[in-house]
Amino acid sequence: MSSWRNLLLRLGEKCPEYAGNADFKDQIEACFSVVRREIEHSGDDVYPFLIQCAEQLPHKIPLYGTLIGLLNLENEEFVRKLVENAQINLQDALETGQCNKIRILMRFLTVLMCSKVIQPSALVVVFESLLSSAATTVDEEKGIPSWQARADFYITCILSCLPWGGAELVEQVPEEIERVMVGVEAYLSIRRRVSDAGVSVFEDIEETNNAVNEKDFLEDLWSRVQDLSNREWKLDSVPRPHLSFEAQLVSGKSHDLSPVSCPAQPGPPGVLSGIAFGRQKHEAELKYPQRIRRLNIFPSNKIEDLQPIDRFVVEEYLLDVLFFLNGCRKECAAYMVGLPVPFRYEYLMAETIFSQLLLLPQPPFRPTYYTLVIIDLCKALPGAFPAVIAGAVRALFDKIADLDMECRTRLILWFSHHLSNFQFIWPWQEWAYVLDLPKWAPQRVFVQEVLEREVRLSYWDKIKQSVENAPALEELLPPKGLPQFKYSAEDGTDPTERALSLELKDMVKGRKTAREMISWVEENVFPAHGFDITLGVVVQTLLDIGSKSFTHLITVLERYGQVIAKMCTDDDQQVKLITEVSSYWQNNAQMTAIAIDRMMSYRLISNLAIVRWVFSSLNVDRFHISDSPWEILRNAVSKTYNRISDLRKEISSLERSVVLAEGAASRARQELESAESKLSIIDGEPVLGENPVRIKRLKSYAEKAKEEEVSVRESLEAKEALLARAVDEIEALFLSLYKSFLTALAEPLHDASRDGTLRPSGHADDMTIDLEDSSVMELDKDDETPKKSHPNGSRERNGYNLDEKQQWCLTTLGYLKAFTRQYASEIWQHIEKLDAEVLTEDIHPLVRKAIYCGLRRPLDE
Amino acid sequence: MASLFKDLAKISAYRDRRFPGTQEEFEEALLKSTTVYVGNMSFYTTEEQVYELFSRAGEIKKIVMGLDKNTKTPCGFSFIMYYSRDDAEDTVKYISGTILDDRPIRVDFDWGFQEGRQWGRGRSVIRRGGYGKLVQKELEAQRQLVDYGTGSLGSYPPVMPPPQYGRHSGNHGHGGSYRHGRGDYHRKRHREDDHRSDYPKRSYVRESRRASDHESRPEKNPRFRESGDSDEEDDDDRKRRT
Repeated sequence: MSSWRNLLLRLGEKCPEYAGNADFKDQIEACFSVVRREIEHSGDDVYPFLIQCAEQLPHKIPLYGTLIGLLNLENEEFVRKLVENAQINLQDALETGQCNKIRILMRFLTVLMCSKVIQPSALVVVFESLLSSAATTVDEEKGIPSWQARADFYITCILSCLPWGGAELVEQVPEEIERVMVGVEAYLSIRRRVSDAGVSVFEDIEETNNAVNEKDFLEDLWSRVQDLSNREWKLDSVPRPHLSFEAQLVSGKSHDLSPVSCPAQPGPPGVLSGIAFGRQKHEAELKYPQRIRRLNIFPSNKIEDLQPIDRFVVEEYLLDVLFFLNGCRKECAAYMVGLPVPFRYEYLMAETIFSQLLLLPQPPFRPTYYTLVIIDLCKALPGAFPAVIAGAVRALFDKIADLDMECRTRLILWFSHHLSNFQFIWPWQEWAYVLDLPKWAPQRVFVQEVLEREVRLSYWDKIKQSVENAPALEELLPPKGLPQFKYSAEDGTDPTERALSLELKDMVKGRKTAREMISWVEENVFPAHGFDITLGVVVQTLLDIGSKSFTHLITVLERYGQVIAKMCTDDDQQVKLITEVSSYWQNNAQMTAIAIDRMMSYRLISNLAIVRWVFSSLNVDRFHISDSPWEILRNAVSKTYNRISDLRKEISSLERSVVLAEGAASRARQELESAESKLSIIDGEPVLGENPVRIKRLKSYAEKAKEEEVSVRESLEAKEALLARAVDEIEALFLSLYKSFLTALAEPLHDASRDGTLRPSGHADDMTIDLEDSSVMELDKDDETPKKSHPNGSRERNGYNLDEKQQWCLTTLGYLKAFTRQYASEIWQHIEKLDAEVLTEDIHPLVRKAIYCGLRRPLDE
Repeated sequence: MASLFKDLAKISAYRDRRFPGTQEEFEEALLKSTTVYVGNMSFYTTEEQVYELFSRAGEIKKIVMGLDKNTKTPCGFSFIMYYSRDDAEDTVKYISGTILDDRPIRVDFDWGFQEGRQWGRGRSVIRRGGYGKLVQKELEAQRQLVDYGTGSLGSYPPVMPPPQYGRHSGNHGHGGSYRHGRGDYHRKRHREDDHRSDYPKRSYVRESRRASDHESRPEKNPRFRESGDSDEEDDDDRKRRT
């Protein structure tokens, strides 16, 4: 990379490029003197790179803006091209709905205005275009209120620019900017407040009260901006390097911007009813998602004391770095810790990262990305960040009973992975008290599931050793994970079955084919012993042969899966098959999940059979004390969903191929026709048609192209047929899933809920606590083990007071909501069926609420 | 995204000599592949540990553990096949350089597993490129960083680091070579495993670790060898890349 590029890239950093000098003014001057010369030779390389820097390192935009302001004094033509390009990019981003790019480019234009590169009134015109598009969208007559998400996003973009240029705008074009602010205020008064119901990380206990008073994200930003305006637009988090060059910059010639246009309304105007509205709203929210939902997990005396707008700006910086430097570990961590602000922000940084890790319905990136970022930040700030992370974990742990189930799962996966990167060191003694809590208490389940995942990432003895400082927690470790082979012991098993199993093992050793095994089963075993014993022998024995590793399992399933498939053709039989698998791997949740998952891959088990098994009483009874059945259910649904989304991708790529093939075929045909219609002279005679050799060749081309077109079309049709089947399949899956949830929830909800709520307002002593005697018994046994005293008496305030049935209902409803939310796009497509068959009038209000929340469908529609 | 810091053209600094084709074809293969190569693993790491970690980046299709040619035991590398290219990319981005079983592993795109490539050479060779030392250093650095404090939030000592805030830590280790959105190339993906496996089956010689090794693992983990002799990753054929 030549040095002008490096100087641009590293502008604002303490680095060798600037000889370790971190003074902004000096750096800008140094960079300016190199870049201005470079422009003469290769200006056409410089401005795209400059724009790229601004787009991808947006926290440095003020520095780039000032530099461009200086360049504008020297070379107006260069800067004109740059501005023109930035504007083309913005227009393109608006049309394609690239949220981050739109937001950043508007900030860039704002900063260019500060450096006298762009006329303030031109910027206001951009604001007004967005404002007017937003206002139209939410207008009930002229607009499409279901698309409010886009309108809100545009307003967010306008407001987000003000920390960077509010002062200048108010100074230079006070009336115009005032007009914009009035417009925003008017917009706020006609839009609908956005409810976080269904996507908030914590279940809001008194949600009905808060929902009315609490500001939504846009109102919140508005109030921060108003606060900024009351402070005369002064803030700490935005560097203003242009002020150092003001004397020079004033003489610059400001460029105009041609107007930008927002994309047209995505459909005919008007207010839609019920389902259609909900569907469109869902689509709009997917395209213009809310970027962050603040967690507020740290107590106010811990989190940095910042002005409201500074907090917003730092969040913007952090989210931008996370977004644009995804995949660049070193730079990502370095920029995260090195933001251009004069205050500390470790707590805010931790809270922001956790807000992304736990963002619902989906974080922008896979959760492992945030795991990596946190690991890297712990290394970059070894003295500070690990403790802040630990504080976040403790804060989340304290509120875990209110945590959304999906978030809880993400937190378990993250925490176990994080600890595995730091030698599994954690002060477990702080949490030893969970042993005093009932088995279903969310904190206890959390500890148990973290330990389960740690064991999976490592091995049992190692994790046992890691809880050394709280040895009693060993009780929450999973079993050692060995298989339970029915036919291993001499005693206790039926000798005939044992003999059959041995015989089967010999067949495998003797490399008999699946066909041979099938006939052995059908002729020798099944007639004499019946289905159950035959299934037990075959499944247990094959699993035992495949028990050594994942690959062993796959190998045995590939070779002998047919034997199982032949036996288990309907759901009843497959449910028995799963039961056999879970009995063999009863001590190993991971292998149970893997085996079931692979069997579904090989289509030995249908997703419907898995749903039925998960909702069989044995599993239902542990819904609130173990993640294991939910993991298996998650796998089954996600595999079904993956199949359908793969098909959709293949179809859309085939559709493109069809268009290409059609074009090629018609071109070939035209070429042939034109050649045929030409007159040529052969042997002195005029003949219709060109040189016969060429005609022949063209003919064969045309035929080939036609064949190609037909064949692509055929594969498209085949895939479409598969898709139609997959759509039916997923609809059946969701219906079965919902019906299972309904059946499982009906009675417990009836028993446990009062006045439509499950959370106890006062004491719930008089509630029935009669079920599952076994767990109560075991609890009593727990009391005999010596208890660790709580390191911190205040922990008692978490006093957990739900009875088992209430917790069971809360957990199950939580998963119901989580599944609905994760697959909302899919479910919206089948909503009519769902309304007819599941969401009937007699459905329990809490079930309805869970499903509606998951879909973000208004309950009052 | 982030194209400023990645040389897009370079997906791998290496070239596997066993790859039957030109450099261009090799790079093309890496760009399309849904297989990743994992190096610097502990000899004791099981497939299930690998599965737990790597399934966090996507649905896994197959795992092939690299085995020592002579002893037929794992020798520190493996191949993981995903169904989707996106998942393989995420693995290279997010898992490379993190710890599995006490060792910093590296993850790279692989051009595709073929029978025979699972065999390590079964002898130590002199390291090329010094990657081993680098990861040792990283692990060492990590050991010193764990400090969660004790007690509740309120009892934290002042946790602030020295005032130098924007410093680079310098030990981020291997960032993983990867490539950014390159348009819509073909992403191979067959989730429906009804058809037979893509690769010839290999005979399985390794004995169960689950049962035997885990229980016999001594208290102090002997698996981590001190710097200077952790050469197993070099046993992999990929290291013969030029």
